[in-house]
Amino acid sequence: MTKMSDRLKIVFMLCLAFVTTGGQHFESKVAQLLQDETEDIKCFVELKDLTCFWEEEEERNNLQYTFTYSYENKNKMACVVSSLSLLASNKTVFFCKLPKTPFFTTLDVQVFRDGRMLYSRSLNAENYLFLDPPRNLTVLSSGKEGQLNVSWLPPLLKYMDDSMIYEVRYAVEGSNMGKVEVIKVSTMLVLLGLQSDTRYKVWVRVKPDGVAYKGYWSAWTEPVLGVTQPSDLDPLIMVLVLFIGLILCLLSMTVILSHHKFLLKKLWPDIPTPEHKFPGLFTVCKGDFKEWMSQNNSSMWGRSVQVYTEELPSPLEVLSEVSLTSHGTSQREERKPVEEDEEKESERSDSGLTDRWREPPQAHWLMEQLRALQENPQSLSQSLLVQSHDTYVTLNQNSQGDGEREVDDVFEETLPLQTLFTTTGTTSLSTSHSDLGSLQQSSGSGRLSSQSSFEYPNQTWPPKGPGYTYMAVADSGVSMDYSPMSSSRITELGRHRMYTNDYKNEIFLHKWPLFGEHNKSGSESCMGPVW
Amino acid sequence: MQTFLGLVSVLIVFVWLGGKQVFPLQPICDLRVLDHFVREARDSVVIMRGSRGGCGAMKSYFVPLTSVDFAFWEHIDVQELAVEVQTGLSLLVQALSTAMKAVSNSRLANALDNNISNIHSLSQILHSLDLQHARSTVLPDDSAPASTQTQEVSSLPELLQVQSSFLRGKVRLLLSAAPACQRQNS
Repeated sequence: MTKMSDRLKIVFMLCLAFVTTGGQHFESKVAQLLQDETEDIKCFVELKDLTCFWEEEEERNNLQYTFTYSYENKNKMACVVSSLSLLASNKTVFFCKLPKTPFFTTLDVQVFRDGRMLYSRSLNAENYLFLDPPRNLTVLSSGKEGQLNVSWLPPLLKYMDDSMIYEVRYAVEGSNMGKVEVIKVSTMLVLLGLQSDTRYKVWVRVKPDGVAYKGYWSAWTEPVLGVTQPSDLDPLIMVLVLFIGLILCLLSMTVILSHHKFLLKKLWPDIPTPEHKFPGLFTVCKGDFKEWMSQNNSSMWGRSVQVYTEELPSPLEVLSEVSLTSHGTSQREERKPVEEDEEKESERSDSGLTDRWREPPQAHWLMEQLRALQENPQSLSQSLLVQSHDTYVTLNQNSQGDGEREVDDVFEETLPLQTLFTTTGTTSLSTSHSDLGSLQQSSGSGRLSSQSSFEYPNQTWPPKGPGYTYMAVADSGVSMDYSPMSSSRITELGRHRMYTNDYKNEIFLHKWPLFGEHNKSGSESCMGPVW
Repeated sequence: MQTFLGLVSVLIVFVWLGGKQVFPLQPICDLRVLDHFVREARDSVVIMRGSRGGCGAMKSYFVPLTSVDFAFWEHIDVQELAVEVQTGLSLLVQALSTAMKAVSNSRLANALDNNISNIHSLSQILHSLDLQHARSTVLPDDSAPASTQTQEVSSLPELLQVQSSFLRGKVRLLLSAAPACQRQNS
């Protein structure tokens, strides 16, 4: 007895379980078709059984209905009508489940109520399949980035596996925007193009493909979560790194291009050549110095002196300029450009004769200064002493003519002296020129020294008259001392031979027999007309 | 469609040349071929609906039964089913030929002719499945309509519907249940 009761209980529980499971799906299907299907009598096939149902609003008893069906010219068969109350919509539905539903044939279904035909419909059962959702949906992360492997099992139906079409829906967890993929027959799918390291929800549903069988879309499966693989390299970081690298490259290129000459000099310095000092030496004479020297014969002295001055710099000139600070601003203003020049020249005193003498206007100013000096000799001495650095003497060694500036530095320096001489007349000029010519030759031995010598061996120095002021300059190398000379002294000078003044390299090597008080110092006399 | 027919024609040639089956024929188990034929049968229905006088003359055709019971499928007798299918196909060929002669629409006539060719191809496919009893019933037999496995339809639409149902139902079931194909699938 107990065994029998147990068995009965087990059978009952199984039946209940079967009914409930069937009922769950059944009820949902009925509810869904109630909304979607437009026919009065709605039919669908679930698990190879055709179910037709209809909605009734009024309170009715299921026994009032008669359900008949026939196919293939056979006799009508009856089906038991049942009722179902839908909990969700609170509606009552009457349905009938055909046992042994014939497929691939036209079924004629009729519903009668109280003898009157309520509904009638002809249908092929295989066209109204309402399948259950797929089973065992699994979502796994594939080895690759942004991919998910989705797989499932088809609903339990024999001989229909190859007639099914699936729809896979996936969306980011929490998002409502989902994508749908349709796949035929196959029960697995690889989702591509997904975000890395993201949780996705996946649903699947099934439907007959419509060739042999037709039907409604099944319900969606319960969502299954899957997580995609995290990406190795965050694309944003990669993009930022590339962007910054690009900017740095552009900046460095800009800097390099703007300073490429400087950098090139630093990295690949030019080999210095003396070519700029010897125009034509390398291009015309091809390095033959002798030939080049012979070509530039006329300017040889200057060049040689120039060359020598590179090696043995020594101060050369004693100027004949007078600085008169007490004579007003106009003269001072005139002096100023000259001062600037002189300062520049004093800076370059090491280069000796390379200093440039500017323009005759300054010579003109010089004359004026001398005139002023004549008027005010005392102030001159003082001022001269104070500003001895401004004064210098130019030794005119120019044998060419006056006003030539294309010759180089030395000759330009000698210009004022030329002008001084020219004003007095041509005779003196010629005289001086000849002297200078001798002078030139005497120093043509090639010595660097700022050798300047006035030699007037056979001539007296004619006093030029009261218009001329003579001044003695004493250059000790440290300071220069200027003192005016009286005319008597000048005449003395003229009678005596004037000794050369050697400024070789040592300043102290000199002879000046004329001025005893200027001992061990180089000094030269010069004269300048004042008018 | 052309390629399918071509393939099937080649197959038919092989079978014809083979004669008494010198070498075993490879079974054609791909249901996509049948699906192709099913679609073309459906096309005939569509053409028929679209054409005037598509119904044609009211004639009675003897057509096979098409119903398939899924419960029956659980205990399928393949041999019996094979016989049924072969008989049914021959009946359909007869009916379609008769209908084609009566149809005035050339397009519909072509479609019907196509359907007839497809059924011939199906017969060869079934032959490839090595169903022993199939061969014996290929020839049209007057005794066949007397069996309970026929029904009578009175119009061309019904005939085409029967053709479609038969192909989708019994023929398909046979192809999917044939032992030769089962061996391949398993």
